[in-house]
Amino acid sequence: MVTIELYGVARLRAGRAAIEVAACSLGEALAALGVACPALEPLIVAGGRLAPGWLVALNGAQITADPEMALGEGDVVVLVSADAGG
Amino acid sequence: MGRGGFFERYLRVDLGRRTAEHVPLDEATRRAVVGGVGLGALLLTRETKPRFDPLGPEAALVLAFGPLVGTPLTTSAKLAFVAKSPLTGRISDGLSSSSFAIAGKRAGVDAIVIVGEAAEPSIVLIDEEGAEVVPCPDLWGRDFQISEASERLGKEYPEHRFAVIGVAGERLVRYAGIANEGRHAGRGGLGAVLGAKRVKAIGVRGSRAVPLADAEATLRIAKDLARRSLGPATEKYRSLGTVANLSTFNRLAALPTRNFQASTFEEARRIEGEVLHETRERGRGSCKNCTIGCEHFYEVRPGQRPVKMEYENLFALGPLCGIGDPEVVLRASSACDELGIDTISSGGTIAFAMECAERGLFPAGPLAEEARDLRFGACERMLALLGDIARRRTALGDLLAEGSRRAAEMLGGDAPSFAPHVKGMEIPGYEPRALQTMALGFAVGTRGADHNRSGAYEADFSGKVNRFEASEESAAHAVAAEDRAAVMDALILCKFLRRAMENFFGEAAEMLRAVTGLPFEAEELERAGGRITLVRRLFNEREGWTPAEDTLPARFFEEKLPGGAAKGAGIDREGFARSIKAYHARRGLDEQGYVPADIAQEMASLLGGRKR
Repeated sequence: MVTIELYGVARLRAGRAAIEVAACSLGEALAALGVACPALEPLIVAGGRLAPGWLVALNGAQITADPEMALGEGDVVVLVSADAGG
Repeated sequence: MGRGGFFERYLRVDLGRRTAEHVPLDEATRRAVVGGVGLGALLLTRETKPRFDPLGPEAALVLAFGPLVGTPLTTSAKLAFVAKSPLTGRISDGLSSSSFAIAGKRAGVDAIVIVGEAAEPSIVLIDEEGAEVVPCPDLWGRDFQISEASERLGKEYPEHRFAVIGVAGERLVRYAGIANEGRHAGRGGLGAVLGAKRVKAIGVRGSRAVPLADAEATLRIAKDLARRSLGPATEKYRSLGTVANLSTFNRLAALPTRNFQASTFEEARRIEGEVLHETRERGRGSCKNCTIGCEHFYEVRPGQRPVKMEYENLFALGPLCGIGDPEVVLRASSACDELGIDTISSGGTIAFAMECAERGLFPAGPLAEEARDLRFGACERMLALLGDIARRRTALGDLLAEGSRRAAEMLGGDAPSFAPHVKGMEIPGYEPRALQTMALGFAVGTRGADHNRSGAYEADFSGKVNRFEASEESAAHAVAAEDRAAVMDALILCKFLRRAMENFFGEAAEMLRAVTGLPFEAEELERAGGRITLVRRLFNEREGWTPAEDTLPARFFEEKLPGGAAKGAGIDREGFARSIKAYHARRGLDEQGYVPADIAQEMASLLGGRKR
């Protein structure tokens, strides 16, 4: 299982801070997230991809939007807005 | 007057001579630096002589409008306050949004330059005819809160819009700001520049419509931009505001904590934006002429007036000082706004003092006695200290009113290595070791550590660079981010629009063509961004800048981050030096980082022909 943590607008829209999904890649995880939290479609995730302006930090570190990125058991996908200004 | 956007002149007010004159601004100048921060930097250079005292009568304070102010374009009600910073000794500017900007522009000027020193505490009233210096003995030295002083001025002069300093500006606190209608030009101590001139407030009024070269095209662009400003690109700002950064930054270990000793905060959950939204949010607002509406107001206590909060206030007065009590952070932010001090520098300087106290670095005597109960997380002590700083009351308050760099130099020993500044400007809420392209942006910033004049963090949050390593690629991102910010701040438009604009320079050129009738092109504006940065660098060079200032405090090179997702991250000194060299090369500077003589010579006529 992979944990997806939600922050900011994504957390508000989904009404939850985290969700666990079965996935071997980021694309699979995002697709599962969209199914579990329809309120995130299509402005945050869309068909297994991230919408513009959204990124993930794998285990809080490596930042990417690549749906091919492989995930393993216990990985944590941190979903964040790329718009960090303020 | 030209076809649009500009009135082609600025007002020069000499407080000592009590004179005001309109000075022409030619087209070449307007095209070279556009307006806002660009025009402000240019006029500051022209209006001053080398190595002037920022708190002396020879100092100039420039209020520069942009060509879009007073047009229907969303977020355009902005102006730039520009001066030599008493905190850094380098150029500083603060942007502010309110009806003050519109009223000032409608006085029929593109900028206002204030020089000299009033014979007694005064206000300056500006209209289409010129300026009047009016003594204000009832407002000066009375320790009014900024809201009270503004209210009194509004009642007495209902046709004027005011920019006001607080008690901190009067007392020459080196990070005092200038407030207008709840907004603050906070950074760099420009409020002290005004205070040194014995000016409590500047009032502006005007009735001149800002001319539009092509009103139909301007309106079409304005409608389209307003529509996009309400889309997903700005949802974060509307729904949560900038405080949304706190939980994300904490998770990514980029949240400066306890004076940059850590980058995660164990009490972050109590003050994160999502929680404040659920538990305390009591309303939203927006700047004048803005469709985004990013302001969020939070309840301090039931029955009390809600307080506006931004991420930078939250981080600086919260985790940076080890404080996780939301009520305390809200009270502290409100206190800074009412006293007239910059929240980032206030939090940064107090956090530095907290670490000094914990390390026993205060010399025996009054300072050590006052700092005895100063510790990270000391809520009431922090609140009291804000008042002491703003009023320069007590030995510790007076010391910290000088900012962290000067305070560290006075303390000596190890203190300077962890004073959280670049060029004297306290570091905003982006941990440099966890965001190393941003670290480069901080190091080379002309205003010092600066998240508004360099958006280099965007590269760190893009996945295009390794955020734990500054590289030559970082330099390209840093230059590009700086140029975009310079043009955005010259127009002036709010940076929260940036993701709503897919082709920024192209769209900006289209706006300028419609408003001004001048044939601006995207490439020309991109060059203007670089030119504005060079104008600032030339000013800094003239005022004594050396390449050694383009760096970070020793802590970031010598201490690794202790925990969280960035555990073990540090900045490699040699690698960082290479990225700075790469930045200098890409910026067109010489080996050491100076503006080359041929470029300086080319720009000499623009800068008024003054020699460095």
